[in-house]
Amino acid sequence: MRKYLLARVVSFGCAATIAGASVAADDGLKLPAGFSATVVQEGLGTGRHLAVAANGDIYLAGRKGLTAMRVDKTGKAVEVVPFGNVQGTEVRIFGDWLYVSDDVGVYRYALKKGELAPSGAREVVVAAFPKERQHSDKTFALDPAGTLYVNVGAPSNSCQEKDRQEGSLGKNPCPLLEKYGGVWVFDGTKLNQTPANGRRFATGMRNAVAIEYNAGQKALFAVIHGRDSLDTLFPALYDAADNATRQAEEFHRIVDGGNYGWPYSFFDTKLGHRVVAPEYGGDAKKVPEAGKYPDPLVAFPAHWAPNDLLFYTGKNFPAKYQDGAFIAFHGSWNRAPEPQAGYKVVFQPMKNGKPSGEYEVFADGFAGDMADNSPNNARYRPVGLAVGPDGSLYVSDSQKGRVWRISHQQ
Amino acid sequence: MAHFTPAVRRLRLRFAAALTGVAAFMGTAAPDTPPTTAAAATVGSRPLGQQLYGRHCLSCHQADGGGVPNMQPAIKGGTWVQGDSRALALFVMTGGFDSASRKDSDVGNVMPPFRQLPDAELAEILTFIRAKFGNGASPVSEAQVAEARTSLP
Repeated sequence: MRKYLLARVVSFGCAATIAGASVAADDGLKLPAGFSATVVQEGLGTGRHLAVAANGDIYLAGRKGLTAMRVDKTGKAVEVVPFGNVQGTEVRIFGDWLYVSDDVGVYRYALKKGELAPSGAREVVVAAFPKERQHSDKTFALDPAGTLYVNVGAPSNSCQEKDRQEGSLGKNPCPLLEKYGGVWVFDGTKLNQTPANGRRFATGMRNAVAIEYNAGQKALFAVIHGRDSLDTLFPALYDAADNATRQAEEFHRIVDGGNYGWPYSFFDTKLGHRVVAPEYGGDAKKVPEAGKYPDPLVAFPAHWAPNDLLFYTGKNFPAKYQDGAFIAFHGSWNRAPEPQAGYKVVFQPMKNGKPSGEYEVFADGFAGDMADNSPNNARYRPVGLAVGPDGSLYVSDSQKGRVWRISHQQ
Repeated sequence: MAHFTPAVRRLRLRFAAALTGVAAFMGTAAPDTPPTTAAAATVGSRPLGQQLYGRHCLSCHQADGGGVPNMQPAIKGGTWVQGDSRALALFVMTGGFDSASRKDSDVGNVMPPFRQLPDAELAEILTFIRAKFGNGASPVSEAQVAEARTSLP
């Protein structure tokens, strides 16, 4: 494999001189030079997030249920076992427990030595979040003390009086923020809690699917899905090209008591500053009250759909990746009729919890040709990220349930 | 908050249509066929229904009518699009909020109502989607939409 990669780089001549030059890797994924991908497994339906245990066992969440996988030395799955009764997005390993979630709760299973699929009963950590349709995935993070940070997405695009209807103005104040549109904290080691046991930690977050606790920084971070449909809801102010490009996917450090501006504002990547949302009197330029909402650490392109965030502390990747952020962008739909975008894993260099350079594309080529510019026709859509015990990065896909292991050749 | 009334929107559409017609003339010199019936109106090389689909429907249901997994349903080949045209017109005018089929659906987003669009534009859109995504189902006339509208609450 190593010889093959070297040969490819040389055969392209100029590629070797470009920083982060891409080479064809297993499965057509494009990765920086020195990296290669192995397909662990596919064919389990819709994949969502995934976690890798210290022994290398992989746990994949999905809309059809959970799957446990054991891999051989080459990284290929040799045992694949569906288990449990949770259909959802999040899965994390905390101590000897596997924490998972669906749209209405967070649960856990005991991970016993030698067992691939947990045999014990599901325990309820938090149940009875309101059943919603939009932005209902209860993704979460845990800190080393067991504090559970749950993303409670807003069941709305922009808190209009009439959701997603042209010209409808925003409710002010937005009542959804009392129960949604933020992060709620719980004691993740306690069982049988309800949302009433939680505390609103941060607000003004439309849907922070990509949420991660950074142990080195002792801080929570998130990349938030920005709003849709500027042009179809407010055609006098925005056209289709504006809608396809202006509202950032915002990467923030999430602090206790923080307010990140939804639905009243969004960060406009064209103007380079935050603007008041059109539902709340914005005119495509108007700036919110100074200091009310923080600017993002990084304003990622509109509609890319950040679905997972991971700070790399593994031992396999070169030094520049240490403490940096990988973000899985599931890919756009609301850019249409403009070409869809995203569908890639991006690396954001970080130092001391702050961006230390421009983000770069790390893994690309997931979507394939994507006929008719239609997300439904994407070959793969990256959705989850995890690091294995050897420092490899694992990526999951929502189209076919495929999982890749990406490694760097030392 | 400035936003367009239906009347103003119609004017904008006519203006946009005129521009498209000019562009078509300059590009190919193909003469624009004057629309004979609402359901057959074309502007430039693209049917008006396709343009209106692009303006109101495409970002959710996509160019191929395939929808977006877990977000918006496919309409391509669906029962609504090729079924009874009156039921389809009513569905599009009222939106998906209270539809029975929605209860069992796993898609997240809800279609807003489109009753604010004039009968002629709705007829164009419905005719387009039935032809393209509904196995060639029959066109829908402005009069049929107007008749269906009388049943709206």
